[in-house]
Amino acid sequence: MSASRTSPSRILLTTVLLGTLLLAGCATRPPASDPDALAEYNETNDPLEPTNRVIYAVNNGLDTVLLRPLAIAYRAVLPDMVRSHIHNVLGNLGMPVQLANDILETHPRKAGDSLMRFAINSTLGVGGIFDAATDMGYPDHDADGGITLALWGLPNGPYLFLPVFGPSSPRDAAGTGIDQAINPFTWVGHGSTDRALGYAKTGIGALDARSRVLDDLDKITSQALDPYATIRSLYRQHRQSEIEDARADGQATVPAWFPAAAEKKQ
Amino acid sequence: MTNQACGKQMTPSPLTTVSRRVALGLAAALPLLRTGRAMADAGSDKASAFIDRLSHDLMAVVNGPQSTADKAAALQKIIDTNVDVDGVAKFCLGRFWRTATPDEQKQYLTLFHKVLVNNITGKVGEYAGVQITVQRSAPREDGIAVTTSVARPNSEPNKVDWLVSIDGPTPLVTDVIAEGTSLRLTQRNDYSAFLTRNNNSVSALIDALKQQAGN
Repeated sequence: MSASRTSPSRILLTTVLLGTLLLAGCATRPPASDPDALAEYNETNDPLEPTNRVIYAVNNGLDTVLLRPLAIAYRAVLPDMVRSHIHNVLGNLGMPVQLANDILETHPRKAGDSLMRFAINSTLGVGGIFDAATDMGYPDHDADGGITLALWGLPNGPYLFLPVFGPSSPRDAAGTGIDQAINPFTWVGHGSTDRALGYAKTGIGALDARSRVLDDLDKITSQALDPYATIRSLYRQHRQSEIEDARADGQATVPAWFPAAAEKKQ
Repeated sequence: MTNQACGKQMTPSPLTTVSRRVALGLAAALPLLRTGRAMADAGSDKASAFIDRLSHDLMAVVNGPQSTADKAAALQKIIDTNVDVDGVAKFCLGRFWRTATPDEQKQYLTLFHKVLVNNITGKVGEYAGVQITVQRSAPREDGIAVTTSVARPNSEPNKVDWLVSIDGPTPLVTDVIAEGTSLRLTQRNDYSAFLTRNNNSVSALIDALKQQAGN
């Protein structure tokens, strides 16, 4: 992705967003006389709820008229296999960031997996189209800036619903920023072709991500009484379980094929 | 460790007496611990066996040759006998269960049951080809979590934990945790958000559930 540029449309967008933030304000904290409601308020940890709901509504509107129809078309036009190849390529392009986060999380074996995945899939896997690395014993895993900051002990902070990006928190937003900053593709080339490639990658990434959750999101919006709250709950739980998985990194530091480990086993 | 080291250096001192008492206490408690451990293992095995049988029942229905309507009926029977639906319903209503009138509680339980069954049996066709494999089980503070791998054709297998209560006469499922997200917790958060935005009125929730059950 290319560096951000100030354009009239961007200024307009910022103005609109700031305006909504000021108008919507904060959630009212329940009085201390109602301890149950207060406990729930603290547990929900969404003091910006009115603002978040406005942004959720805007995002939802954009999704209904733009992203969802495109994702449906994307799924209808391209066969399963092609879509899974595209998903693999996108995943491979994200591997340098994953590797950096593995190192920052001090998970040497995970870092080895990421490194081998990038090396194997970029070459044998023809630019990441085929995931040859998983079959060779280097499975994929989750590692990103938000998880790294969590393992470093940074608290999650209140719930944030970001324009375009969707559910987040100060910690995850900071993590996304770090990921962008350490992504080599952010800094490679500034020509018009590079910029076009960057936009294409972002666009295809959005289609890929949206098309993979088409059925699940449809189910949530049709079955939940309050989809905003349901998505907030699902997002928090899902992130928490990713963090716990990363924390419980059980891979031995000495790989199984290393002679010393083999001897120990016998 | 420290107590032991101190005991070696200083002969009769209050510390040694204390550590001896601790050691004696521990020795006395050890058999108790062991039985506790054995009981926990037995509970885990029981829960694992229960989920193993349940998953085979589920697979037999969804991958079977019957019509969709027959499958839905069979699935409802499995839910009714193996899931603690009332317990889940109470959990989902949370603190509002206490403020609801007995009549509201009754209505809510009936509607919750209906909506739950509708949501599960309505999608019975989508589950075809599913394979469930029990992997391990571990006690948690609110029951025993049995971890399974659920594989569907053309997608990567998902990790699904089943929370089992073995306190009753027969084991019952009290929660399903798919890829780290608990179904009952998500439902509880959904209901509580709805109630907060509707003046904490349980009857408003009942009306909304009536609409859902009607569909």
